[in-house]
Amino acid sequence: MTQKELNDQRLVREAGEAIARQYTRRHFLRESAMGLGGLAMAALWGCHTGGPGTPQVVFDPAHPMMPKLPHFAGKAKSVIYLHMAGAPSQLELFDYKPELMKMDGQDCPQSLLAGKRFAFIRGVPKMMGPQAKFAQHGESRAWVSEHMPHLATIVDEISFLKAVTTDQFNHAPAQLLMHTGNARLGRPSIGSWVTYGLGSENQDLPGFVVLSSGGRTPDAGKSVWGSGFLPSVYQGVQCRSEGDPVLFLNDPAGMGRDLRKASIDAINKVNQESYEEYGDPEILSRISQYEMAYRMQTSVPEVMNISDEPAAVHEMYGSNPGKGSLANNILLARKLVEKGVRFVQIFDWGWDSHGTDSNLAIDVGFINKCRQVDKPMTALILDLKQRGLLDETLVIWGGEFGRTPMMENREGKPNPFKGRDHHTEAFTIWMAGGGIKKGAVYGETDEIGYSAISGKAEPFDVQATILHQLGFDHRQLTYDFQGRPFRLTDVKGHVIKEIIA
Amino acid sequence: MALLLWWLSGREKYALLAPAVPFVSLAGVFSAVLTCITGMLLSGGGEYDSSTVNWHMWMGIATTMVSAWLYSQIRSGQARRQIAYTVAGLLVLVSVTGHLGGSLTHGSDYLSSPFKEEGSGAGGVHVRRVAIADVQKALVYGEVIEPILADKCYGCHGAQKQKGKLRMDQPATLMTGGKHGVAIVAGRSDSSLLVKRLLLPKEDDHHMAPKEKPQLTKEEIALLSWWIDQGASFTARVGALAQPASVKPILSALQSSAAGGAAAASSGDDDEEAQAALMHNADIPGQPVEAAGAADLAALRAKGVLAEPVAVGSNYLAVNCVNARAVGDAFIDQLKPLRRQLVSLKLTRTAVTDAGLEKLAGFDALRRLDLDYTAVTDKGMGHLKGLEHLAILNLVGTNITGVGVSALKGLTGLKRVYLFRSKVDHAQWAGLQAGLKGVVLDSGGYEVPTLATDTQLVKVPGK
Repeated sequence: MTQKELNDQRLVREAGEAIARQYTRRHFLRESAMGLGGLAMAALWGCHTGGPGTPQVVFDPAHPMMPKLPHFAGKAKSVIYLHMAGAPSQLELFDYKPELMKMDGQDCPQSLLAGKRFAFIRGVPKMMGPQAKFAQHGESRAWVSEHMPHLATIVDEISFLKAVTTDQFNHAPAQLLMHTGNARLGRPSIGSWVTYGLGSENQDLPGFVVLSSGGRTPDAGKSVWGSGFLPSVYQGVQCRSEGDPVLFLNDPAGMGRDLRKASIDAINKVNQESYEEYGDPEILSRISQYEMAYRMQTSVPEVMNISDEPAAVHEMYGSNPGKGSLANNILLARKLVEKGVRFVQIFDWGWDSHGTDSNLAIDVGFINKCRQVDKPMTALILDLKQRGLLDETLVIWGGEFGRTPMMENREGKPNPFKGRDHHTEAFTIWMAGGGIKKGAVYGETDEIGYSAISGKAEPFDVQATILHQLGFDHRQLTYDFQGRPFRLTDVKGHVIKEIIA
Repeated sequence: MALLLWWLSGREKYALLAPAVPFVSLAGVFSAVLTCITGMLLSGGGEYDSSTVNWHMWMGIATTMVSAWLYSQIRSGQARRQIAYTVAGLLVLVSVTGHLGGSLTHGSDYLSSPFKEEGSGAGGVHVRRVAIADVQKALVYGEVIEPILADKCYGCHGAQKQKGKLRMDQPATLMTGGKHGVAIVAGRSDSSLLVKRLLLPKEDDHHMAPKEKPQLTKEEIALLSWWIDQGASFTARVGALAQPASVKPILSALQSSAAGGAAAASSGDDDEEAQAALMHNADIPGQPVEAAGAADLAALRAKGVLAEPVAVGSNYLAVNCVNARAVGDAFIDQLKPLRRQLVSLKLTRTAVTDAGLEKLAGFDALRRLDLDYTAVTDKGMGHLKGLEHLAILNLVGTNITGVGVSALKGLTGLKRVYLFRSKVDHAQWAGLQAGLKGVVLDSGGYEVPTLATDTQLVKVPGK
């Protein structure tokens, strides 16, 4: 036998083995037993109907990011979510509590401690008054502290939610609750739901981009921008403002762009043949993602390059090309939205002001963090406004919970620096643009800022409002999984109409 | 349980189970007897349909007898074949008796109603809500009140069951009342037990409907109270009765072109109405428009242009050229068939010029036009004259000067013009703003001045 014949024989055998491996006895048994029965049951119980008149999202695996239609015409077309991971202290930023100052240094009353669980406070902590000076600003007379002098100038553009509550007092579950609607892993994030329901405008860029700063990933990890049970193509794409914009996107050394294109075409040809044979829709997603990745090789560096922005823009944001910072990320968010990206998620780590070290101290590190974010986020609002984008871009800023009016005493002993513990019962989020009222304040806390007394909002309500501004009824944007329709807000959530214009 | 054990014990593998069978069978007999006794007590309450109760009772007695016979067969060690017949018969009896019992408790369509379409009431009869063309001419009981009762009440107070001895599906028995007295006092809704129970707090035991069943909406309760106050007539028409202001909107909401609409309107609560109001977008024209031609849309999409309706069920379109920046003036010709539907047009960074703007005449539905970073000039602004609904105009990064802005005076619907990075001379700004009253001219160029503190790092005191 010649070498060629031997090779051919081997190829045939390998092809046969590959096919055999695809379809084992296990597959057959599983499909026949459960498949037929499952089909019958599904037909009997009318699964996948979602009731009459529910608009169903059509998932086209070959074009997952093509724009889709919202339930009604929403005002917002894009979202920028600025999440300050660690939880910024609302008592030093937006919730002015002079009564708390009067109690400064006193022991915490038992009524506030009875029956409650705290992350780190033990025993009887001392109350701590606001560690910043407050003033009222703008026509809306919103209270803003001295730590955010820039934001204070634009309070009339934004609306505050002062009585947001949650039920999670640890970072990871609270971040998951805020972004996926459930404190456990496994659900899709807001950005995934939005791109699943609405697609994206620019077909050369990812629809859901994530930018992270502060030195660490948020505690909930990458699941907080994960796609959960939605098709994996809706996962957030993490872009970096320093070095390679997207990891593993660039060609390896020695491979030119033409060669890359040729190899992608070849891969996709094989994939196409696989699809014709097996009919697995994930293959179509893979084909489209290879092509998208190829387009991203040019489109992403172009949009992520902030060095060609005029000096005036850098001055406005306080950004510094090349160095990777929150300001750079916020400027990038504007550029991405300008180019038609649907959802930009920014995470900044370092707001967990327990007082255990100077970086996490209310009077040291916290102020530095405020200075990092104040100018860029103000610049973002004004920049979006002047470019005519603010009407159609929804901006949200907040953390995953609040901070206690008491000074933290970890293990019952005072911390080296002033700090506050995690607090679930009241915190502040602000929203702007995309049809949100200008200068509104919704929600009130009691006189020491401990609990919300009116206008309570849960993370589900914030999520429902975001979806509403994009044109979705949060109850109707569903995905069937594990036998029932899931939605971002799961079984709760109502739109906070008081801050909608 | 006994039957299962008996069947299993026939197999060699489970032969160990054999001694258990007589005992379990005897337990079965006892429980059957107990069930009969409790059933008799319950049926004495007289709240259930007597024919079903009768059948259920006799079937139950038969089941008990046969189970006793089975026990005696097992004890006397009869052949498996004989016992098998008894077992089969007992299985049938238990199923039939059980089914009848379920029908008594839950209503005869308890199992099948989930498979039917929505709209089935809570068991028993359900009267489909008919669309009411003119509510003033409708029969107040037959078309307005009875559908509510049928949907929410007949399940427990109708033909199949009469809880509290109250049967509501016939006018005579409805007015007679039940165990606790008269349900309706004509003319006095506040004395009527029916209304009183509807208004009780949900946690109260006597609250109607029971908390696990579908509740009546505020509108439905209002309609019932109003009907009773007006004399609880079974024959009058709505128009003949006095209609206070609180009831009028509910009645007119019933008048709609589809039964589904009527149901939705009257079964919604404040939240639903507020939601519907929230979904209204003033930027989209209110009146419906016919759909644009599919071929025209396909031609646009083939070029990579996004041409999509603004929402599900709307024929108004938004066109976005973000993926097709090579389009030029000729492209506007392709938009002409969409003249009546086009609400938003984004031509950012495309090759469109003033000549293209001239072609936009007649685009009456256009509300938002983005021309940022295009080569349009002041001359082009004159071409926008006819667009009387144009509200937002984006001219960021263009060569428009004060002349072009003044040319926009004729646009009556104009609300906002974005002029950041345009060539408008700031000295003219006040004049231009005065000439365009009611229009927000946004010059951009906002500054966020760097404060000394922005770059200062707070350090630990003393270090």
